[in-house]
Amino acid sequence: MRYFFQRFLQLLLVFVIVTFVVLVVMRVGSNNAQELAIKLAGRPLKPEESDALIQQYNLDANFISQYLTWLKNLIFHFDLGFSPQAGQSVADLLKPRVWTTVLLGLYANVFGLLIAIPLAVTQAYRRDRPFDKVGSMATFIAVGIPGIVLGVFLKLIFVVQLGWFPSIGDKIYPWDDLHEHFMNFFLPTLTLTIPVAAIYTRLLRADMVMTLQSDFITLASAKGVPPHRVVWKHGLRNSLFSLVTAVGTQLGALIGSAVLVESLFDLDGLGSQLVVSVLSADLFTVQSFVAIIVLIVVVVNLLVDLSYALIDPRIRQARALG
Amino acid sequence: MSIGSTTNITQAALRDVQGPLLELTDVRTHFRTPRGLVRAVDGVSFTLERGRSLGIVGESGSGKTILSRSIMGLLPSKGTERSGSIKFAGTEVGNKSRKEMRHIWGKEMAMIFQDPMTSLNPLMRIGDQIAEPLRLHLGMSKADAAATARRLLQDVRIPEPDRRLAQYPHEMSGGMRQRVMIAIAMACGPTALFADEPTTALDVTVQAQILDLLGEQRRERNMSLVLVTHDLGVVAGHTDEIAVMYGGKLVEKAPTKRLFAAMKMPYTEGLLASIPKLEDQSHSRLNVIPGRPPDLVNPPKGCRFAPRCPYASARCNEEEPPLTATQDDPNHSYACWYPVGSPEYHEARARINASAGVN
Repeated sequence: MRYFFQRFLQLLLVFVIVTFVVLVVMRVGSNNAQELAIKLAGRPLKPEESDALIQQYNLDANFISQYLTWLKNLIFHFDLGFSPQAGQSVADLLKPRVWTTVLLGLYANVFGLLIAIPLAVTQAYRRDRPFDKVGSMATFIAVGIPGIVLGVFLKLIFVVQLGWFPSIGDKIYPWDDLHEHFMNFFLPTLTLTIPVAAIYTRLLRADMVMTLQSDFITLASAKGVPPHRVVWKHGLRNSLFSLVTAVGTQLGALIGSAVLVESLFDLDGLGSQLVVSVLSADLFTVQSFVAIIVLIVVVVNLLVDLSYALIDPRIRQARALG
Repeated sequence: MSIGSTTNITQAALRDVQGPLLELTDVRTHFRTPRGLVRAVDGVSFTLERGRSLGIVGESGSGKTILSRSIMGLLPSKGTERSGSIKFAGTEVGNKSRKEMRHIWGKEMAMIFQDPMTSLNPLMRIGDQIAEPLRLHLGMSKADAAATARRLLQDVRIPEPDRRLAQYPHEMSGGMRQRVMIAIAMACGPTALFADEPTTALDVTVQAQILDLLGEQRRERNMSLVLVTHDLGVVAGHTDEIAVMYGGKLVEKAPTKRLFAAMKMPYTEGLLASIPKLEDQSHSRLNVIPGRPPDLVNPPKGCRFAPRCPYASARCNEEEPPLTATQDDPNHSYACWYPVGSPEYHEARARINASAGVN
């Protein structure tokens, strides 16, 4: 418990540092508070308008005070600022788009694991046989193709040539209409899932091959345990560490890919919005975007940490002592 | 619970068939490697009666571990060539697939490995690891299996069994873990137990305890024990018979007492001489057998030990000596042209002593 409290504080610190650095980087170019206010508003301001903004967001103070004001507004008022481009508050702008990116990330991970685990386990069990060789070749190719190239390729075939899926995506969620959701999310999900599944498969296969050579695996066989149980019960759990670590680290890369994939399939999400916001120097939106992404990454890594302890009693006990 | 036909045959055989539990005839295990065919086990024959114990002794690379795994059928099928006959309780098991052997593993034949630190699943509770074969082979309920596991821990002299059942391997010492391995091996009451260097990774004081425990369990359960080791000292007090292996072959086999009293094979003599003795002066040089075990891809033409044998003559390098019984004891056999005690042996010894004296 103490371990997780420490870990939580560490990750909270990560969140604070990252969002603070982003705030400084975005604002450091302005010479005075008036200029910054104009930049935030994205249009020329009357003096009283700019004074009101400076007052509201504490713009004439140092960066630390500015940051604390931003954090205070976020925590107490859920006020993420406003987006001059969209003409609405950032919260209202991002709220309907968050689910697109979150669902894409979730799908890519869940389906990636659902593909990778059985594939890697079977490959490791049939090591160096044809199934393993074909599998290794396929995952090698899939890891090598840049996600965006794969996306373009899929779009050309299934949208342009075959016309199976709509050419302009619509953010329809499963709780709205499952079939429409599938039509709009299938290709972006596939584009994100294939490389992730390939990486997961390669990592797990390598660990699993090592594990299956262990003495305790031979002992399990010598006890008369059937092969499927030897592999799944004794082998898999002892081979999960690289995979679990990868789930945490892949997340950042996945969000990066989501930016491209959402733009490619015209799916309205955080990623596609980020492209628009960055190009138009929409400071509040970019700041909020980073905050949300960091929060997700931090939470997932906390879960990854938790799962190490769930998997391995040695880690559990070492943490309890530490 | 479904019981495979294999099991039925074996169990019936165990009750009805009078005769040896284990009967090996010309067992060969060869591995295909890029270097060529490795003749790890090259024509081994012996029998083992029910309830008796056999020590298989030899250096690293003599084929003793491969032999024990061949008997159990635990070797990977890929790249392995097996021939000869292995009869277990009257049933041929040498040609059985892993799938068929699975019903025998853990139930009729069990194995203990060398390193207790790596042989237990680090992520599974001790209790579950002992209960696993009980539930699989005997179809016990969870509660029955747990109760049996508790009793097994008591049998192998582990204090506080209830607390230990819930522990993981890393919470136990090496000796404790080896006791757990024995408990797992005993779980389903096997008729044959293969212990592959069971004490090599343990402290000397713990070694004796584990060997005593194995002996005691064997007697109580009327189980046959095959004890594989490089250490003649280990088998000396704990087996009825000893088989000495060299270069994939048996080179001498005799009842334990007889072997120590009247060994015939110079290799056995060398093994015994290389055990340090208490009466030796401290810091005296250890006796070693010079040279290395033979290359099993291209073994020597004649006696495989000839290149390292101090008494070897021309014939030893040309003709391979067969394993033959001694005249006075049919249970004692050896493979040597000029065994310990023969006139040629004494002649060679005199020659060696003389040359040592000159120097």
